[in-house]
Amino acid sequence: MSGITKKIADTLKDFRRPGYYEKFDYRWGMVIDLDKCNGCGACVAACYAENNIPSVGKEECGKARAMNWIRIERYIEGQYPDVKVKFIPIMCQHCSKAPCELGCPVYATYHNQEGLNVQVYNRCVGTFTCATYCPYDVRRFNWFSYKWDKPLDEQLNPDVSVREMGIMEKCSFCIQRIRAAKDKAKDQGRGVADGEVTPACAQSCPTGALTFGDLNDPESRVSRLAKDPRRFRLLEELNTEPAIIYLKKVSDNGTEGHGE
Amino acid sequence: MDRRDFLKILGVGGAGVGAGIIFGQATKSPGAKLIPYLIPPEDLIPGIGTWYAGVCRECPAGCGTLVKVMEGRAKKIEGNPKHPVNKGRLCAIGQAGLQTLYNPDRIKGPLKRSGERGSGQYTEITWEEALGAISKNLVELGDTKDGQGAYLLTQPLRGSLKGLVTGFMAAYGSSNIVEYSLYDNKALANANRESMGVDAIPYHDIANTNYLLSFGADFSTTWLSPVNLSMGYGEMRQGEGRNARGRLVQVEPRLSATGMSADEWVPAAPGTEGILALSMAYAVIEKGLAKGNDSSAWRSLLSKYRPEAVASVTDVSAEKIYRLAVEFAGNRPSMAIAGDTMASYSGGGACLAAVNVLNHVAGNLGISGGVLANPETAVNGTRPGRLGSLASLIEDASKSKVKALIVYNSNPVFTTPKSIKAKEALGNIPFIASFSSFMDETAVMADIILPSHTAIEDWGDDFPEPGPGIQAAAISQPAVSPVFNTKGVGDIFLAIAKKTGGKTAEKFAWDWYGDYLRDAWKGIYSANKDVAAGSLTFDDFWVKLLANGGWWEAVKDGKKTALSVNLKAAEKLLQNEPCPFDGDPKDFPLYLVLHPHTRLRDGSTANNPWLQEVPDPVTSVVWGSWVEINPATAGRLGIRQGDMAAIESPSGKITLPVYLYEGIRPDTVGIPVGQGHSALGRYAKDRDSNPIDILPAKNDGSTGLSALNSTRVRVSPAGVAGRLAKFEAVGKELGRNIVKTMTPEEFRKTGREAI
Repeated sequence: MSGITKKIADTLKDFRRPGYYEKFDYRWGMVIDLDKCNGCGACVAACYAENNIPSVGKEECGKARAMNWIRIERYIEGQYPDVKVKFIPIMCQHCSKAPCELGCPVYATYHNQEGLNVQVYNRCVGTFTCATYCPYDVRRFNWFSYKWDKPLDEQLNPDVSVREMGIMEKCSFCIQRIRAAKDKAKDQGRGVADGEVTPACAQSCPTGALTFGDLNDPESRVSRLAKDPRRFRLLEELNTEPAIIYLKKVSDNGTEGHGE
Repeated sequence: MDRRDFLKILGVGGAGVGAGIIFGQATKSPGAKLIPYLIPPEDLIPGIGTWYAGVCRECPAGCGTLVKVMEGRAKKIEGNPKHPVNKGRLCAIGQAGLQTLYNPDRIKGPLKRSGERGSGQYTEITWEEALGAISKNLVELGDTKDGQGAYLLTQPLRGSLKGLVTGFMAAYGSSNIVEYSLYDNKALANANRESMGVDAIPYHDIANTNYLLSFGADFSTTWLSPVNLSMGYGEMRQGEGRNARGRLVQVEPRLSATGMSADEWVPAAPGTEGILALSMAYAVIEKGLAKGNDSSAWRSLLSKYRPEAVASVTDVSAEKIYRLAVEFAGNRPSMAIAGDTMASYSGGGACLAAVNVLNHVAGNLGISGGVLANPETAVNGTRPGRLGSLASLIEDASKSKVKALIVYNSNPVFTTPKSIKAKEALGNIPFIASFSSFMDETAVMADIILPSHTAIEDWGDDFPEPGPGIQAAAISQPAVSPVFNTKGVGDIFLAIAKKTGGKTAEKFAWDWYGDYLRDAWKGIYSANKDVAAGSLTFDDFWVKLLANGGWWEAVKDGKKTALSVNLKAAEKLLQNEPCPFDGDPKDFPLYLVLHPHTRLRDGSTANNPWLQEVPDPVTSVVWGSWVEINPATAGRLGIRQGDMAAIESPSGKITLPVYLYEGIRPDTVGIPVGQGHSALGRYAKDRDSNPIDILPAKNDGSTGLSALNSTRVRVSPAGVAGRLAKFEAVGKELGRNIVKTMTPEEFRKTGREAI
């Protein structure tokens, strides 16, 4: 490999090295307990409110163009009367080895130092590459510039940009809340405490299925829960190394062998 | 307000509190509007949110909220972490309260009817004219000594507003107050009164239970207090303080959102769940697992419900009934709960009472992890029951006994069967005034509309029902100034009292509802001074209230009421036959089971774009209604997914798109209530059909509420293609094992127990 190519390859290698995030203060992650989740959808509504997600209406929803950043996937198995249902909330998995980041020609999506998969709206030119690379189907494309009927626009959160036609968007782990918490902690000369920052979805969850926090802090709640023997990661075989750890639902007809 | 007053007020409270008072004052003094940006209010720092405590009013659960306000606009609603009902959590419907506040289809100012009644043609008038019109009507009615001709139809009320409204009507000289909403706790409270002598909803301690047996209670989304009960559910499953994972068994003809999370589904025949509960109670005694010393008396009473005898009626085998009974009683603390599906049967009260009997026999009443009584007296006195009945209002109206009607947030035209003729009855009333914030099907019948504030703009207090097991009183303050030219409902009543004159004016001399509320709370302060306020003066106590969002206190041990089912009372209540369904099974082979829409409940939140777009957990359908049919039944009828189907009952016919669902009995079809509005606003209007339209004029027998599950139907292809917008594509894993699970045996190997 010559000069510039080698340099890029080295940088990428460094970027991929295990333990990279330990050099930094935080490694944001989430644990989702599927045994607690009852599929109520409070997280979905909370995300709409926090992140200025437009409602697109029946026609667009019917074309699979709803803009929701988090969804409750639901699988119904079996036939009457032996029916088993599984709920799973799915949002951007903030993969350490994110396929979407490799594809973007304009570096609109990249990995930040705290483990977040970040989308820079100003860079995005709407090639749709990231959405086709993402195995989790969590990226949402603005097919139009959506309007809020007045005065619904009064509710728009000033901490989050309103996106326009041609832009790809997705879950940001409520980066505006992380920024605010870090700023506050910095002003007070300390680190962000466990539980100080919570994305809108985890904040609202009635059953407490969603826990957010710093995976670098071994004492944090999320780190403790991440060691649960029920842990698994979504489509783990793809080696995307998601920052979201799911805890298995306990079910009479469990479909899996022992934990990992 | 001058600058000196302004600073004085700020001096009283902290950041949030001061501003709450300012917003209240701002509605009075026009001068205040000029001040804010010259001398910015303390809470208005651009880019920094201020949080105001309040109470969610999107459903009757009464969760505590914090509203984030930036630059005078509400941005986000979150749960109040201090409030004992929801401890910081909030459901989808509560979150969407913002779109109730900023809804483009809110009534923007007082209106007077200019076209035909029901045509929706109105002209704008001033508040002075509107208040004048309604008080003139009331005064004239009073002059003719016909004060009893004035009726009030309202959503069920609580707290100081109920005191104001009942006091107002009493002072005016009318005793005709009707509290009505479609999914009301009243049925459950009635059943509890008749079987246990407690006219209230107890606290269901799901968090500490080992075995939860739910008879049609969809507590994840709509039943009683969804956030509170869901918090308990999370604890029951994987609470960090627990060793054993609790088990959930759901008994219902159609698997609800909650049922989808259950470990076992028992699809008993519709209308027989009460019999099943009694049969299980018998099985508990038979297997020697009953608690208490009255089990031999119960045994003889329940002997006709022997599992072997009821197996064919309930469509649940005797072995299964015995097994469930042994699991239920052998894993105490366990708990059986009865939800809306049961309450909606004709004679549903008996089903609810039957579940109380099961709890009694298994010894689950009054224990931790079972059914616990809420403190008998809320902070403001005894828990009031519901007033009046809609059926008698409609009867009086059709006999022209109703001379004037005031309607507040109650929509019987949408939520009663056409056969009851609520709309025609309203048409008979010479004068109707509505205080609704939205132009719903009932408001559109009004002659004059005085639009009220939404919760975020108004003062209020609340005593949650069902309570969270402790005494709780919450207070709600305006977080933003009014978006439109509306008034608080309390203020409307006070203004009418003033204009009506006489006794009402004397009794209600307050200028605005905020003062009335504060004075009402002086009573709560003095009655509970020791526990609530300690050494605080009332002013300090008030400031603390506004900052915390209310006051709550665990009752000292010993004050808790013991619960037990009275054998003599139960004897009269218990059902012998399955709940009746209209229609000949030969002509109408399928049971129709309605359920509240998980987002729109009784349809009152249907004009909320977020709630229309957040998918239903069961079907993932958005922006419309559907009918759930078992694929086997649909195949026989030649109906495919998404087709339009005609659903015909002896009382009417509607068409809806079909959703094929394995989670429903083959002899049953399910439809959500909530869509099919002909009014209410652009997001709600003309979305499919309202299934209530085809119900017979039957009630549940004890409360006078419409029995929603009371008819059989026949289903046929409507011959047109439907458009069903849903999120689900396949809905099956197809062997991909995406969502991994663990068997209870594997779970036990991790060092914890699974029931």
